[in-house]
Amino acid sequence: MNAFLYAMALQWKLDIRSKTLLITCYIVPLLFFAFMGSIFTSILPDAKNTLIQSMTVFGVTMGALIGLPPSLVEIYGGSVQNVYKANGVPISIGVILTNCSAFIHLFTMGSILFVAAPIIFGAQLPANPWMHFIILALLIGVSLSVASVIGLLVKDPSKTAMFSIIVFLPSVILSGIMFSNTLLPNAFQVIGMLFPATWGYRLMTEEVFRFENLLPLFLIWAAAAFLCALLLKRADMRR
Amino acid sequence: MHDAVQVNGLRKSYGKHTVLKGLDFTVRQGEIFALLGVNGAGKTTALECMEGLRRYDGGDIHMMGKVGIQLQTASLPEHIKAIEAVRLFAKWNKTVPDKSVLESFGIYEIAKKRYAQLSAGQKRRLHLALALIGNPDILFLDEPTAGLDVEGRLSLHEKIKQLKSQGKTIILASHDMAEVEDLCDRIAILHEGEISFVGTVEDLSLKVGKQYNISIRTDKGIEKMKSGDINETLSILLDRYREEGTGILDIQIDRGSLEQHFIKITKENKK
Repeated sequence: MNAFLYAMALQWKLDIRSKTLLITCYIVPLLFFAFMGSIFTSILPDAKNTLIQSMTVFGVTMGALIGLPPSLVEIYGGSVQNVYKANGVPISIGVILTNCSAFIHLFTMGSILFVAAPIIFGAQLPANPWMHFIILALLIGVSLSVASVIGLLVKDPSKTAMFSIIVFLPSVILSGIMFSNTLLPNAFQVIGMLFPATWGYRLMTEEVFRFENLLPLFLIWAAAAFLCALLLKRADMRR
Repeated sequence: MHDAVQVNGLRKSYGKHTVLKGLDFTVRQGEIFALLGVNGAGKTTALECMEGLRRYDGGDIHMMGKVGIQLQTASLPEHIKAIEAVRLFAKWNKTVPDKSVLESFGIYEIAKKRYAQLSAGQKRRLHLALALIGNPDILFLDEPTAGLDVEGRLSLHEKIKQLKSQGKTIILASHDMAEVEDLCDRIAILHEGEISFVGTVEDLSLKVGKQYNISIRTDKGIEKMKSGDINETLSILLDRYREEGTGILDIQIDRGSLEQHFIKITKENKK
């Protein structure tokens, strides 16, 4: 346990030093929040009601899908995974450590938004903050599981970035955080349902744990976790 | 002397390509043993199977003791600091790093440096120190001095000899024949996934046909020749010089380098 905690704290520091996660988990989401927050709230005063939720979903989606895969590629695309094997540690520890570290970073970013939005833009706080943070944790977990699949599946750093963007862009555009997804054609609404951001945003704005909103998140998480297990097994078998 | 490592019928394929075709050899306790072979001979795969880094398809590998592995460079995250890597390995091995080892490898001097900022020599030293953290009985070194300058190479050779004197069994793969000749007690030569030779360098020179390089400096000049029978050749030469009244100033005899023997045996294997 001591070793695991040390490894996790170290991974957290490495993520900050690597700058990729620092940029994708903090700098870009917070700059986007500062920029879009001022535009949204000045054009659409009602945007204040959902500013925290929309910016949180954007930040989590970006941090997870763009920030996490490079860390996994560094571990599993090269020979870093040998470090685990050489020390008798299961190779899955790389996924666990990077996920835990990214979770903490994204939760911190979500908390900053929660505190800053009402102060800077007069955004309305969620009626039930506890529920907001539980949904935040859920959304981060599911988004990271999808990001882990990308990081484990694509070993080439340049291709990883491309895959991340292919998943990130529709996640953000079709989730309803920029505009209501009821305005979208049916086909796009259906595609949007494949991404955790859509369900996370619904849960956050409705502030009710509806089974029909929770189930898709659990299904996405279960599918991603299954794929991660398969990819890790394949990585282990190939060696 | 007991065996530290036993490899029996080790087989490994990548798809349809068979890389190891049933290797059999043992490594004795406390010796430095080298795996040699041209590129693609299968030495890295064999080494990785023995290290436990790679799965193998058949055969057995028995390790009589704790194993330490000097990983190749680029096997640590580039932003990790040297001292953090040491602490992490120590935690995983449930031990406390031996300060004297860290000091002797100069780890304190690079403690705060990130892995990406280390020179090739510093990375090799760090990896060797990391391999020793669990106080292993058997140590694997893959190309331990590749990319190092002469000073770094000699310094690392000294360290490896010190480890042997502490009773550690060392298994290394190297392309540097002079290094192998200097360090190793025994060698195994791999050729197309099979062991073509196991023994000492002296055994190898006997196998490939011992040929001495003789260089004699006399008051009339330098005479160089090759000979398979040193006694006979020298006897004939000395008789001739005596008859001619030639004065001998210096005689140099060398038994041929490992590199020459290695080239000869790999050429024979190709035929």
